[in-house]
Amino acid sequence: MNVEGERTFDAPRATVWQVLSDPSSMAQTMPGVESFDVHDDRRWTANVKIPLGLGGLKMKIDMEKTEEREPEFASMHIKGKGVGAMMNMQTTFLLSEAAGGGTQMKWTADVKIAGPVGSMGQRVLQPIVNQQVQHVLGALDKQVQAAVVKADKG
Amino acid sequence: MSDSTTIAPDRVEVQAPQKQWQGQSVPRKEDKRLTQGQGVFVDDIKRHGMGYIHFVRSPYAHAHITSIDVSKAEEIKGVYGTLTGEEVASLTDPFFQLATPPGAHLKDYALALGKVRYVGEAVVAVVAETRELARDASELVEVEYEPLAAVVDARNAQDDGVPVLHDDAGSNMMWESVYEWGDLDAAFAEADRIVKIKELHFHRFNSTPLECDGALVEFNRGTGQWTIHTNNQFPGFAQIMMGPALHCGLDKLRFVTQDIGGGFGNKITSHPQLVACCLLARKLNRPVQWTEWRTDFHLSMSHGNERWFQDTEVAVKNDGTLLGFRTKALDDAGAWLRYEPLGGVIWAQVTPGVYKWRNIRLEFTQVATNKAPCSPNRGYSRMQHLWFTERVIDIVAHELELDPVEVRKRNYIKTEDMPYETPNGCIYDSGDYSRMLDIALELIGWKDAAARKKEAASRGKLLGIGIGSTLDSGTNNFGQSRMINPELQFSGNNEVATVKLDVFGEIVVTLGTTPQGQGHETTAAQVVADILGCSMDDVYVRAGHDSYWNSHAGFSGTYASQFAVTGLSAVKGATDMLAEQIKRLGSVILGGVPVDALELADGTVRIKDNPEAALPFMACGAIINANNAGLPEDLDVTLNCRYVYRPPFEVPDVEKKFGNLTLTYAAQIHAAVVEIDPETGHYEIVDYAAVDDCGIRIHPQIVEGQVMGATAQALGAVVHEAFEYDEDGNLLTPNFYDYHVPHALDMPPLQTGYIESPSPFTPLGTKGMGEGGGAGIHSVCAAVQDAMRGHGDAIVYDSWNPYKRVWEMLQHPEKTRALVEVVDA
Repeated sequence: MNVEGERTFDAPRATVWQVLSDPSSMAQTMPGVESFDVHDDRRWTANVKIPLGLGGLKMKIDMEKTEEREPEFASMHIKGKGVGAMMNMQTTFLLSEAAGGGTQMKWTADVKIAGPVGSMGQRVLQPIVNQQVQHVLGALDKQVQAAVVKADKG
Repeated sequence: MSDSTTIAPDRVEVQAPQKQWQGQSVPRKEDKRLTQGQGVFVDDIKRHGMGYIHFVRSPYAHAHITSIDVSKAEEIKGVYGTLTGEEVASLTDPFFQLATPPGAHLKDYALALGKVRYVGEAVVAVVAETRELARDASELVEVEYEPLAAVVDARNAQDDGVPVLHDDAGSNMMWESVYEWGDLDAAFAEADRIVKIKELHFHRFNSTPLECDGALVEFNRGTGQWTIHTNNQFPGFAQIMMGPALHCGLDKLRFVTQDIGGGFGNKITSHPQLVACCLLARKLNRPVQWTEWRTDFHLSMSHGNERWFQDTEVAVKNDGTLLGFRTKALDDAGAWLRYEPLGGVIWAQVTPGVYKWRNIRLEFTQVATNKAPCSPNRGYSRMQHLWFTERVIDIVAHELELDPVEVRKRNYIKTEDMPYETPNGCIYDSGDYSRMLDIALELIGWKDAAARKKEAASRGKLLGIGIGSTLDSGTNNFGQSRMINPELQFSGNNEVATVKLDVFGEIVVTLGTTPQGQGHETTAAQVVADILGCSMDDVYVRAGHDSYWNSHAGFSGTYASQFAVTGLSAVKGATDMLAEQIKRLGSVILGGVPVDALELADGTVRIKDNPEAALPFMACGAIINANNAGLPEDLDVTLNCRYVYRPPFEVPDVEKKFGNLTLTYAAQIHAAVVEIDPETGHYEIVDYAAVDDCGIRIHPQIVEGQVMGATAQALGAVVHEAFEYDEDGNLLTPNFYDYHVPHALDMPPLQTGYIESPSPFTPLGTKGMGEGGGAGIHSVCAAVQDAMRGHGDAIVYDSWNPYKRVWEMLQHPEKTRALVEVVDA
C-alpha cells in the first residue's frame, strides 16, 4: 500500500527537522505508544497499540533511519511485529521552504502488512491508515508548534 | 480419427427389486439424531488428558524461515509441547508425489521446512490443555522470516526472473501434457468459420463445508498404532500418503469417521495436518485434538483449481455444427501438489462435454504459485472444463448469431447413440440431453422469452436467459492416474460392504464410505430391506468408516460421485450373499425344502407355496450365532457376508491417453433467467430450473437435496465466492465476512425436474451424482451474456461475475470483445 501527502508547518525548516529527528518528539506523534527506547541516533524501538477493531493491535516497532540529508530529506525503514500482523514500511520525507513562509513537508510511505490483518486488504486498511496518518500529522503539528514556542522562549 | 476402441462394460442384468423401499422418499434414518443434536462430529470426541493443537501459520506468501524459537511458548504452564518443521523432517519422509518430474521432486512435509510458500502455511504446532491456551501460546512462538517476492499470477509463473517456489523442482512448472484426439487438421479444413477466443478464466473458490477439518488422534505405545478420529473423506488416500511418510504399515493407521459436516472433496487432503497430529500424540504421549478454524480453512485448505484457457480455436460450420477445438489450459495448483496433478487428467472424463466434438487438442500445463494448495472441490477439474465447453457454445452462438438452444440441440450427443464412446474412449452410459433441455426450458417459460425481455426493458432492466449443460462423471477408474505418471500402480476402483444377521435378528450393515450428509444409512437400508424382504427399521447401518471393521478397501471413502454405484453395489452384493445364505439355512431348518422353493418376505424365510411355514430372521440369527450344534458340517453359512464391488474397468492406454475413465455419466441441464440493472451491474436471478438425470433414484428427496445444494454452491461461486489474492499473496477473503456463501435469502426461485436414464453398467441402474452444480455457473454466465446482447455485446470471459464485473462489462464491452475473433476458414 502506497500513501503519500503534503503538509505545511508554520515553522522554520530547521525546527521541523529537529522535531522529526528527535525520537522523543516523534514518540509523542505516534498512536498508542506504550513505551519507547532509543538505541542510538539512528535506531529506535517502540511498543504501540494501534487502534484497530475492538481490541487494538499491539506491535513492537523497530525504526531505523536509513538516509538523511539535513535539513531536507530522510528515509526510514520501519519493521513491526504483532499478533496477526507483520509490517514493513519504507518512508521518506522531504522538507522545503514553503512559498508563503513556513515549511512544506512531502512524505511517502510504502506499507506492506502481512498476516491476517494484511488479509483485510486495502479496502479496509486504507481508511484506517489514512485516519492514523492524519493523527500523526496533527500530533506532529503540535510538536512543531511546541518547539517554536520553546525556541521563542529560549 | 483414433483407431482405438474402448471395450464397453458388460451390460448388467438388473434384477427388478421388490421396490417396497427403493424409489421412495422415506424419512432418513440419520435425521433423528442429526436434528436432535445427537450427531457425533469430530470435535465432539474428547479424551481424558487430551491436548489441543493450534498451528502457527505463515503471514507471508513467500519467505525463508531464518529462525524459530518455541521456548517462550513452552514455558507457559499448561502448554504440553510444540512441533517444528525440522522435527517433522527428522521423523518423517516427504509425502509421496503423484507427478512426474519436475513436480515429483517436491519435498512436502507436514510443516514448512526452511521456507514458507503461501499465507497460512503451517509452520509450528503448539499443544496445550485448552484450545484457547494453545492459541495464545502460539503467539509467543518467534519465527523470523526473510520475505521473498511472491508468484500470484499463474500466467507469469514461468517468466524469466520470477522466483521459483521449489528449488528441488527447479521450475514453477509442475506438470504438463498434450492431449489430442481425432484429426484437427481435417476438422479445421472442413470448417466454415473459426471462432478464436484469446482467454477465458475459471476462478479460485471452494465449496465451504459448515464443519472445518479436524481430528482426534491417539497413539498406542504398546501396539504402535495410531487411532485417527477424523472427518477426512477419503481415508484410503490419506493412509497411502501417511504410511510411507510415518514409516509404518497401514494397519498402524486406524481411521475412524462418524458424522461429517460436509465434505465436497476439500476434506480429502488433510493428511499433512493428520501427520502432525500423529507425531504430537506420540511425542507428548497423550491424545491430541485439532479443530481447524474457519480462517485457517480458507487460508490453507483445498482451494478449487483456478484455470486459464488460452488461444482457443473452434472449428464450426455455419449452421453451428461443432467440428473440433484446440486450447491451452493453464492450471494454478497453488503452492503444493497435495492431490495434483490429478486435475490434469480428471477433466478428460468429460472431454467433449455433452457434445459430439470428435477432434480435440488440449495442452495442459500446471504451475505452482504462492497460494493455498488446490485439491478436489465439488465437480473437481471437470467443472472447469465443462464451463469452458459451455462458454465456447454460447460464444460461438453469439458470434454466429445463432440460437444457443439450437446450437446445443444440434450438437448434443443423442440418446440413440448411447452408450457413446467419446474421442478419448470414455463410454457415456445413457442419457437424453435434449429432453432434459426441453424440460428446463419449459420450467423457466422459454416460449415467453421475447415478451419477457421486452417487459423487462420497459422497466429499464436487461433480461437474459442462459443454459448450462453438464456431466457428472462418477465412479473413477483410477487407472487414469497413469496418464499423469505411468509408474503409478493404481487402476480400477472398489468399495466394501458387510451385511450380517445377528443373534436377535438384527441386520447390521457396515460400509467403507464416509458420508457427509448424503444419507448413506438410509439408502443402504432401502436396498437391503428390498432384497431381504424386511422393514427398513430392521436394518441398522453403522455410521461412518472404521478401518478396524474390515469393511474397507483401497478406494473406500465418499468422493467423486460414486456411492450410488460403488457403495450401493457393495451393499447389494453383500445382501445378495446374505439372502442366499438365509435361504440355505432355511432349507435345512425347514426340512430340506429346495432353496428355489423359498422366498424372503416379512422378515422371514418361508416356503413360497406355504407362507405359514416360515422361519423368522431372529431364529436364523440365533441358530447360526448361538445355537448351532447339530447343523450339517457342509453347511457353509455364516450370515456375515462381506462383498467387494469392483467396477468393470480396463487399464487405459497411457500412450494414446485413451480409455474408459469413469463408469457412469449423470447429466444436468440448468437454465437461468437474470435481470440486470444496467446502471449498477447488479443482477437478480429471477427464474431458475435444474433438471437432473442420475439414472435410477433410490431416494428422490435425497437426490433433489443434492441438486439444490450443488446449485446453491454454484450460484454462490458465480456471483459471490472467490479466493482473491493481492499482489503480495495475501488472501483477501479469509473468512465469511469477505467470502459470501449464499444463504436461503440469496437463493432464486428454484424449480427442479428429472428424468431417469438407467445406467446399463451398474447393478441397480444408478449413477453417481451430486457434483453437477457447475451447471449453475455455466447457465448464469450464459444468461448474463445473453442479457448484454444488443447492449454492447460483451463476452463473459470469467466464471466469477460479481456485480462490479458486470458493470465493467457493460461500461467497456470492447475490452471483452477484443478477446474474440471470427474468421472464415
